[in-house]
Amino acid sequence: MNTFFHIWKYPILLALLTMFGLLAALIGTGVWHVLSWITLTIPAIVCIRFGMFPKNK
Amino acid sequence: MGISKKSVRAWFEVHKWTSLICTLFLLMLCVTGLPLIFYEEINHLSGNEAEAPVMAEGTPKMKVDDVLAKAKAVHPDNVIRYVFWEEEHPNIVTVSMADSIDSPPDVANFVALDERTGEVLKQPKFDEGFMYVMFKLHVDMFAGIPGKLFLGLMGILFVVAIVSGIMLYSPIMRKYNFGMVRTEKSTRLKWLDMHNMLGVVTLSWALVVGATGVINTLSDIVLGLWQVGQLSEMVAPYKNAAPLTGELSDLQGAIEVSKKAAPEMHVSIVAYPGTPFTSQHHYAVFMRGNTPLTARLIKPALIDAKNGSLTDMRDMPWYVNALFISQPLHFGDYGGMPLKILWTIFDIVTIIVLVTGLYLWIARRKAQEAQIARMEEEEEELETVNA
Repeated sequence: MNTFFHIWKYPILLALLTMFGLLAALIGTGVWHVLSWITLTIPAIVCIRFGMFPKNK
Repeated sequence: MGISKKSVRAWFEVHKWTSLICTLFLLMLCVTGLPLIFYEEINHLSGNEAEAPVMAEGTPKMKVDDVLAKAKAVHPDNVIRYVFWEEEHPNIVTVSMADSIDSPPDVANFVALDERTGEVLKQPKFDEGFMYVMFKLHVDMFAGIPGKLFLGLMGILFVVAIVSGIMLYSPIMRKYNFGMVRTEKSTRLKWLDMHNMLGVVTLSWALVVGATGVINTLSDIVLGLWQVGQLSEMVAPYKNAAPLTGELSDLQGAIEVSKKAAPEMHVSIVAYPGTPFTSQHHYAVFMRGNTPLTARLIKPALIDAKNGSLTDMRDMPWYVNALFISQPLHFGDYGGMPLKILWTIFDIVTIIVLVTGLYLWIARRKAQEAQIARMEEEEEELETVNA
């Protein structure tokens, strides 16, 4: 597999989700707030998942 | 990515030094920022917030000047400088007064009143107690504009530290999968991996909150630019006008004229003539829109405070709007309680990234050097292979 893709696919995906979440709540209310909460919850869960239950390889 | 061993070393140095300089201040900012996320809730619980009694729907409001007269009665020797309306608190108007129109900005007496009855609901204090200390530490460390700008500089270093951290993530993670934390080898490796993993996951949040924090530290400069730029253009015809004397035109009229000029907007703040947000001769009626975004982009209507006519109304210049948009993105107060909780989680994660970064430097400086040397070798091997 391409090294760049291997290293960066998840960080880039999480960054896009975060940016979407940060902007969504600013642009609209209602469903946009819900979308913002969902997209921002994903990186938060990733932190908790890998922070508390580390994967060894 | 073709990162040479020389540039790995350079990015490592950048990461180390920018982090070292800003870490203690950033830790302070993250810790004081935690309670500030819940400023409104804590203010509410501590009883520092006015609450309007429930009355029949559509109860008429008094003329705003009559309500303000009741505020003046509380501090007869004071002058009114600003009047606020908050979206979340309908039927309440808050008046900010001081002993003179040009008192320092942090000298103020607040009176919150019911717009329907003119009853004084509360005299909230914003310059004492735990939250005030947290706020001042976070904004300027009790050191005024120089303190603010210094924290802005620390914020710039923080942003550079994040960018250099991104540059180091590639060579470190080349052979590993995302989320890898080596728990069995050594404590240092475990915390290095944790630092990298948490750092890369939260990097865009940290970049946004860091960069918007830096923009917020420029608020006084932005205000100054606006004063000498757009504001002075708008009030140019009044440059040589005689100073205001006697009674001002009524505020109710000024508000109605402003609403007529921008019917889809609501009044947010009124600045009285002689305050930094307007001229010596005008009320500035700041209007906000209805969406989360346009509610931030307030727009001033300048009303001649003698004859009550609209002089000018313009959109704010881009640098003021940039500051306005930066505020919610820094505070996290624009998406309800869930967003505040997410802000708390990311803030705590950032604290962990800062502490682990400091630990990595203090505990194992030498081991880290060795790690970099190994990375350089690996890069070299790779380059030889690739060549």
